Amino acid sequence: MFNKLIKSNEFLVFLIIITLSIVIGMINPAFFSVATIYDILRASNVYNLMAFGLLLVVILGGVDISFVAITAVASYGTHMAMLKLDYQGGIWLYFLIGTAIGLICGFLNGFLITRFKLPIFDLTLATQTMLYGFSLFFLGATANFDLPERMVGYYGKYLAITEDPFIGTTGLHISVLYVLAAGIFVWWLLKYTIIGRGIYAIGGNREVAKRSGFNINRITMIVFVIMGVLAAISGVTQSGFQRNFSPTLFIGQNLNVLASVILGGASITGGRGTVIGTFLGVILTQLINRALILTGIPVEWQQFVIGVLLIIFIAIPAIREERARKVGHTTELSEEQA
Amino acid sequence: MKKTTNKIITLLNDIKEKSAFDGQMVLLVGIFTVLMVFFTIMEDGFMTERTFSSMGFQIAEIGLLALAMMVSILIGGINLSINATANLGAVLAGYFLFKVFPPVDTGEIAQIFTQINFPAEGGNTTIYILIDILIPILVGILTGVINGYLVGYLSVPAILATLASLSLFTGISTGLTKGRTITGFPPNFELIGAKTISGIPIPFIIFLVMTVVTYFLLNHTTLGFKMKMLGTNPTASEFSGINNRAVIMQTYIYSGILSAIAGIIVMSRTMSAAYEYGSKTYLLFSILIAVLAGMTPGFGNVINVFISVLILQILSTGFHMVLLGVRGSSFFKDFSWGILLIIIFIFNYFVRGRKAQE
Repeated sequence: MFNKLIKSNEFLVFLIIITLSIVIGMINPAFFSVATIYDILRASNVYNLMAFGLLLVVILGGVDISFVAITAVASYGTHMAMLKLDYQGGIWLYFLIGTAIGLICGFLNGFLITRFKLPIFDLTLATQTMLYGFSLFFLGATANFDLPERMVGYYGKYLAITEDPFIGTTGLHISVLYVLAAGIFVWWLLKYTIIGRGIYAIGGNREVAKRSGFNINRITMIVFVIMGVLAAISGVTQSGFQRNFSPTLFIGQNLNVLASVILGGASITGGRGTVIGTFLGVILTQLINRALILTGIPVEWQQFVIGVLLIIFIAIPAIREERARKVGHTTELSEEQA
Repeated sequence: MKKTTNKIITLLNDIKEKSAFDGQMVLLVGIFTVLMVFFTIMEDGFMTERTFSSMGFQIAEIGLLALAMMVSILIGGINLSINATANLGAVLAGYFLFKVFPPVDTGEIAQIFTQINFPAEGGNTTIYILIDILIPILVGILTGVINGYLVGYLSVPAILATLASLSLFTGISTGLTKGRTITGFPPNFELIGAKTISGIPIPFIIFLVMTVVTYFLLNHTTLGFKMKMLGTNPTASEFSGINNRAVIMQTYIYSGILSAIAGIIVMSRTMSAAYEYGSKTYLLFSILIAVLAGMTPGFGNVINVFISVLILQILSTGFHMVLLGVRGSSFFKDFSWGILLIIIFIFNYFVRGRKAQE
């Protein structure tokens, strides 16, 4: 049990997070504070929500491109409709309507993929282009800053507040609860339901899964609906954070979220990946972003450092596997057989 | 209604079997013709030399990137770093001139631009222009080697490897330019990107030449055959004595060179180099074109890619003219591209589905 834990990918990512934190803390002691934890959590919440959805698609063996467009259409579309109705209430209605829009978009993706037997990557590429085009042309081309009265304070809704000499007053944002709920749900789905086992099975070997009696179309549909709903929640939350609604929310971020999911140990070819790993992957990405600021690397070189780290991250396991292959045995025999 | 659809599909299949064209090409030519007729009727100013000239300038960049994407998809991979390669080449070329001709004192401009202080009456402009073309191509080769090594020799999935190199290349460009735009290229440099030869834009000619070169490479050389073989079945090609790793390496190098040429054209047309030029759109559009052209590992046609580029450009230019004056009109093209692609997917499904039944 303990041996298995140490060898797991999640543990490796966790170790990297700890090591990185210690290094940053030694360079800049201001890093060691409760405020930092709250801050990193707050920044990673919206990405975690998207990453949990994307994790399901990746385990299924595909890559979704369109979820960022769903965040935009769901949040911006809801907001434009609410503006017309002169809604002044809280954010809960936004979540409700946004989720419905996300559900419809996810359903559309799932329907087209299963009904017409299309590759996930190709189809979601088309829907992403279409959805961003839709939100920019039909809904509006500019960001809107007219928030309902009772929603303005949403960005500062904390569960716990802390004072920090460097960052100021900050707290644990309420959206961490959504991540917790979504994380537990996806974890439960993957581990304890027949649908979850089916997702792994399809990603591992589609043909075998089919012959074992898994309803591939239904499972694919469910995965995309969940992806759509999580994307919508993430979109509304992020709009609440930044206090404006944008038709191009998260544009170009899909590959970054994918990188986090991969860092968290999910296999891009499907069949492998965990919720904990994904969560750690997202935290690690945010930590790297923050580390570069705190350790004083010039802002313009941050992207470069992230690129180098990514290359190292993918090259090390690849080199290890390559070496193992030359010796004549693989590092993880059980996986090779599966 | 259903009977007529079936008849049309049978007819299309007949054409496909009797001619050398594949079904996708028939479909694409059909869409192309319909769009041309539609926009000619809808818009008086569409069938003019000016429209086609402006399309010729815009087509080249995205067309070259689409070619760079298609060769990587052909061998069963994908190259996400094409646009980053194009920008990196342009930025390094600009950075070289910036180092040779440092700015005098640009004051506030330096906040936004990295200004090259190129002398107005320089005698040896040609040499610098040649270097500015050479650097991006070298960069293209180098990026191809990096991608090829990661994908071919380390067996990293292509989507992952090129995602990482996309990040790395963008990082280098961002770091060197400090996020600013490099301007002040030698005046004659715009010859490549902004001039015409007897009415035909030079970028379009370059695109045409590279299309022909790619066509020749894929259909009339051993490497092209090996690439298709590798895309169809890597194991089979390995056992046929093909050095898969070398083929992957060569393909990514070629992809890098094509991207770099796109970068040169962008640099020359805009007379500037920026780390983020087209970073949010070009990459996905090039995949979009490859998908529209029906590219799958091992199978694909350069001519289809060429027609697909034309179709997307006509949709974009056409709707822009028709919707002139409507708020946010330029965004309608994104919407129309997505819809078109989905329609083609569905159409292909029915053609394929029928064939499978027979």
